[in-house]
Amino acid sequence: MNIQDNYLKNKKNIFFSQNKDVQNHREKLIDIFENDRFDKKNNESLKNINLKNFIDFKYKYLIPEETSVINNNQENSYSIVSVNGQCSSYKDDKIEITRILDEDYNDFSKNHTIEKNDHFVNLNSLFLNSGFKIVIKKNNNIKIKISNIITDDHLTIFQKNNYICEEGSSLNLIEEYENKNNSTSNILNVIKLDKNSQLNHFLIQDNSPNHNLIITSHSSCRKDSTYTQKVYNFSEGYVRNFHYSELIEANSEADLQGIFFLKDNNTSNNKTFVKHLAEDCKSNQVYKGILNDRSKATYFSNTHVDQVAQKTEGYQLSKGILLSDNASFFSKPELKIYADDVKCSHGSTIGPIDENAIFYLRSRGMSKIAATKILISSFINEELSSIDNEQMSEIIQKKLVRYLSKVK
Amino acid sequence: MFLEIKDLSVKIENKKILNELNLNINKGEVHAIMGPNGSGKSTLANVLAGKEDYEIINGKINFKDNDLFDLNIEERAQEGMFLAFQYPVEIPGVNITPFLHSAINSKKKRMNEAEIDNLSFAKLLKSKASDLGISIDMLKRSVNTGFSGGEKKRYEILQMSILNPDLAILDETDSGLDIDALKIVTDGVNKLKTKDNSFLIITHYQKLLDYIQPDHVHIMVNGSIVKSGGSEIAAEIEKDGFQKFQ
Repeated sequence: MNIQDNYLKNKKNIFFSQNKDVQNHREKLIDIFENDRFDKKNNESLKNINLKNFIDFKYKYLIPEETSVINNNQENSYSIVSVNGQCSSYKDDKIEITRILDEDYNDFSKNHTIEKNDHFVNLNSLFLNSGFKIVIKKNNNIKIKISNIITDDHLTIFQKNNYICEEGSSLNLIEEYENKNNSTSNILNVIKLDKNSQLNHFLIQDNSPNHNLIITSHSSCRKDSTYTQKVYNFSEGYVRNFHYSELIEANSEADLQGIFFLKDNNTSNNKTFVKHLAEDCKSNQVYKGILNDRSKATYFSNTHVDQVAQKTEGYQLSKGILLSDNASFFSKPELKIYADDVKCSHGSTIGPIDENAIFYLRSRGMSKIAATKILISSFINEELSSIDNEQMSEIIQKKLVRYLSKVK
Repeated sequence: MFLEIKDLSVKIENKKILNELNLNINKGEVHAIMGPNGSGKSTLANVLAGKEDYEIINGKINFKDNDLFDLNIEERAQEGMFLAFQYPVEIPGVNITPFLHSAINSKKKRMNEAEIDNLSFAKLLKSKASDLGISIDMLKRSVNTGFSGGEKKRYEILQMSILNPDLAILDETDSGLDIDALKIVTDGVNKLKTKDNSFLIITHYQKLLDYIQPDHVHIMVNGSIVKSGGSEIAAEIEKDGFQKFQ
């Protein structure tokens, strides 16, 4: 079924379909799809995927009977179960959670960046069927854990979430994606950090082979705020993590980290785009991948330093270990600098495991497989040992042990 | 015979490095091999340890009644062979303590001996490190990472003293060491020496042999042992160089 028919057939289940502005926007998007008006050259959203599988899809969405459980068991600590991308509303004096359906569309859509050449963001805008907004109120220090559950096979979730950290607030957000069904989640997160706020965003991804997870996030940081994103991808299904960050006021910071563990025929696509739009801002990116069998990964990174963004620090680093001759990791870190007083660097190292190190360890009595595993663990040791949440550290370690048990 | 190398010829990328080499080492003996650059000394050390880059053209090696070529790298180590590397590899993120603990227990397992528990191992490591002037802080660091040349060599000797090998091969352990570090390292070696273990010391210079007394000295040129004898050969080399053997 073509995109237009698919949309028209399911329109009644898609959010904001009655809104005229939305309709106009969606008609433009349909035109792009129908007439293949994409810029195909250097389009990172097309790498390593069969786009046809994602465009000619069968729309299926189930409104969950019970939307979510919000628990506030410990002080300042909340756990949320998001079902099929939906979450019921909740409010206290520290946080406010709202279903996007209950939001005013104009408020919800304000300042959303639409990537006109990103197919998945466009599909998300076209078929939006779930999502929520979380606001952390001024000067509160909050922990939230969200378990993202999908109830059935072959669901197509198109979800938009807004996260707003008000002035002086701090949010420690852990999101778990552990779905064993054959569904597709296409999620767009829009994250706003007000002055002097902080968001530590951890994403643990561990889906089954036929589950597709597409996450696109936009963060914007005002004065003295810091957005940290750490992604641990153990999924056996396709995962795309794209992040766009804007440092819009002075002394703000974006710290982005992604570690992926791939095997079989799996693919992981990663992209970051960091815009330094004010002085004294800092961005740091570290992406590391371990690839076995015939797995593939990409890392496209672009750090743009505006001419007003003096005293910028911008660092990009990607590293990969290829455990098989058939695995591939394509990395392209780029810097575009228009200011003259900056410290920036980029680097990329991808290759097989160091044979000299293997020989050294084996010469002390360690088996080849044990030496390989210890070197894989050491490759990501710095990132794993920097996890200051004990429970999360244990979860990641267990998943790492499971991944290593399959390394032969 | 503890180690018997017979007619060993080895090549790498079509270049013959070892040429009909013969060498016998008995239990409790210290042998030194001296030779000019490119004579094949380090290749011999690597072949003994099992490095897989080399092609064995001819010859046999017996170690403790085993055909050495039947053993892979780790099996050789577990059987009691130890190579102190000329250039120890830096391995960021791998801490020396769990790594060495795992190494010693893999050896114990092969020998059907009881494994060493964490506490006993920590005590053993601390005591051996102290003998070699290695601080506790250094034991918390990653293997060889950010170490000076001298520190790396001390670390090699620490590993050797923990693993207590039957045959230790020291590949130019003296290179890059100042006189104080050389004394510490050679003291460590001398402490380990018993009637039951053997050493094969590879060096360019006689200096090392002032501190570790060899029973036999061999001159190696173009992949073969061209002369064998006692300590007097080392003195001869020191005086006249390797020219006359080439």
